[in-house]
Amino acid sequence: MLINELIEIIEYFIVMLITAFAFAYFFGWLERKFVGKFQRRHGPTYLGKFGLLQNLADFFKLLTKEQVWPKKADKLLFLVSVFLIAGFTLYLVMLLPIYNFYIINSSIILLLIFIILSFLPILIALNGYSSSNKFAMISAQRSILLLISFEIPLFLVLIAIGYYVHSYSIVSIVNAQSNLWFLFIMPIGFFVFLMALLAEMERTPFDLREADSELIAGWLTDTGAPYYMLALFVDYIRSFFGAAIISLLFLGGWYGPFGNSFIWLFIKTIFVALFIMFIRAIAIRMRIDRILYFGWIVLLALSIINLYLVYLGY
Amino acid sequence: MSLVKINIGPVHPSTHGLLRLVVTLDGDTIVNVEPHVGFLHRGVEKLAENRMYMQIPPFIEKCDYVAKTAMDEAYVATVEAAMGIEPNERAQYERVILLELQRIASHLLWLGAMLNDLGHFFSVFMWTFADRDKVLKLLEEATGQRMFYVNMRLGGLRQEFPKDFEYHVLDVLAYLEKRINEYESFIENSSLFKERMYKVGVLSRDDAINLGVSGPVLRASGVNFDVRKDKPYYVYKKLNFKPIVLYNGDNFSRYKVRILEIKESIRLIREAFKQMPDGNATGMPIKLINPAPKNKVVRVSREGPRGEIMFYLVADEQRPYRLAMRTPAFINLAALNHIAKGNKFANLFPIIGSLDLVMADVDK
Repeated sequence: MLINELIEIIEYFIVMLITAFAFAYFFGWLERKFVGKFQRRHGPTYLGKFGLLQNLADFFKLLTKEQVWPKKADKLLFLVSVFLIAGFTLYLVMLLPIYNFYIINSSIILLLIFIILSFLPILIALNGYSSSNKFAMISAQRSILLLISFEIPLFLVLIAIGYYVHSYSIVSIVNAQSNLWFLFIMPIGFFVFLMALLAEMERTPFDLREADSELIAGWLTDTGAPYYMLALFVDYIRSFFGAAIISLLFLGGWYGPFGNSFIWLFIKTIFVALFIMFIRAIAIRMRIDRILYFGWIVLLALSIINLYLVYLGY
Repeated sequence: MSLVKINIGPVHPSTHGLLRLVVTLDGDTIVNVEPHVGFLHRGVEKLAENRMYMQIPPFIEKCDYVAKTAMDEAYVATVEAAMGIEPNERAQYERVILLELQRIASHLLWLGAMLNDLGHFFSVFMWTFADRDKVLKLLEEATGQRMFYVNMRLGGLRQEFPKDFEYHVLDVLAYLEKRINEYESFIENSSLFKERMYKVGVLSRDDAINLGVSGPVLRASGVNFDVRKDKPYYVYKKLNFKPIVLYNGDNFSRYKVRILEIKESIRLIREAFKQMPDGNATGMPIKLINPAPKNKVVRVSREGPRGEIMFYLVADEQRPYRLAMRTPAFINLAALNHIAKGNKFANLFPIIGSLDLVMADVDK
């Protein structure tokens, strides 16, 4: 019995790992192509068909570069935090259900996911501080700023969903959307959730943490090539996670017109990812002294209104 | 809270070349910005003393590699003033057309770079770059070179405009007009853009005058000063030209002045083509021996895309005894500390962007 369960778990982990890696790779390629089309250029074309192998080439290039350590860095913390960020992000993906294929179906799984997600900015801040670079230091401060601005509205939206479904299990939440997506039941909540996730994923207009025109590379400024590659890869996996969780919680997950299948989930995930890339292609960074206002006045008010509307409608 | 000193550049994504800034921060607020310049210093003024008059334009052009013709023309006009040569009327019109085309190209590049400084992921940059390329193609058609034209000769241009040049220009101008309106609506309808530009980096009218800034930066602060209007040269008197003046002095005004200047330039070029007389605009070929200078000391100022370009020339027989340049970006950079003080750190880069610095122009 136990052996069988263990094999099942390992099987699940391997499948999810492959899915996450494949999607991360695909997103990396898609983003370069899609944003390139927006900017009247072709994106990568040279390596492989449609430049599909370009990211692989970049991967190996970064892997073969020298690892440079900042002199005053707290090396242990610096190293461990990068791996922790990568590990936790992968763990987040592991907790997602794909149709009838999941490892845990607890009634609190959604809360677990988002507690881990709100732990990530703290790790990033830790990494920024430990590298003893001033740009990374500012990035770390901004990471905390984003955390305190967006976390409460995000959780209020989750509470609204939980109140509606009477469960925090993602499977039950998706099943509750078999007739009508939550996008139509709580559009305000969807907006708040999207904004908060954009901030979580370091995407414009909330990419203050990375801010390449100001902070060079933010918390990754002094990170050597191999770890930078790891962080970049984690970034794409986080995008996959964000797109997947939006399509699970608000777009009906695996429910679709011709039978329910994981393919619907994949299609929706890709569309959400394209939407996020679209925002990246057209938006500019938000003003930093408006972030707290936006989080604590606009989003918090909207999320409370959303909660109240769900309460009334229920 | 203690102050933090942070060193930005000279290698940084948005310092527009090699600009080094030592910024003192109190938390997230800027206390002091100290520009360190000179990474691109080539000593053009000294080099000029060892060259003959018409050997100098290639050096001068590389001072402002974004608006080359503006620099080249200002220098050649200085030498012409020393020698007492006046270009004929057609040459004057042709020079004005080239200058205004160059102004459009320069402002288009600035627009893309500005949006990048605000955190745009290269979209507008790529679009304006493609549009700027169309203008550069026109300049290439007229001058035979793509980057550094070295097209000005004493008393005219190196060559006449090619046949059909007028129609090509008018085609591109019609296209550009449409594009500029698109950019305007795309950029200004974004509330994120407004938030980051309105009332950020304010330079008051008095400060602008006292700091000696010029060009769009000055006119955005409400000072009605444009060399093309106040000390008119060439045929700007005959053209119906109005300087663009806005009164807020913030980033948005500086952006808007440049957008309106592109439109004004488009109008000026069309008007110039209508008025242009027939004739030959070809100037004197480069010779070893030039006519002897009549005036020993001349000072000529021109309105470049970045501001007032001024040349001070003490003329010797065949080469300058002394050539001094007042380049606009250098003096506009001096106003940076004054503008940026008290702003948030994140607003520093849009402010640098709005000054439209070219570091080769600063360092000379």
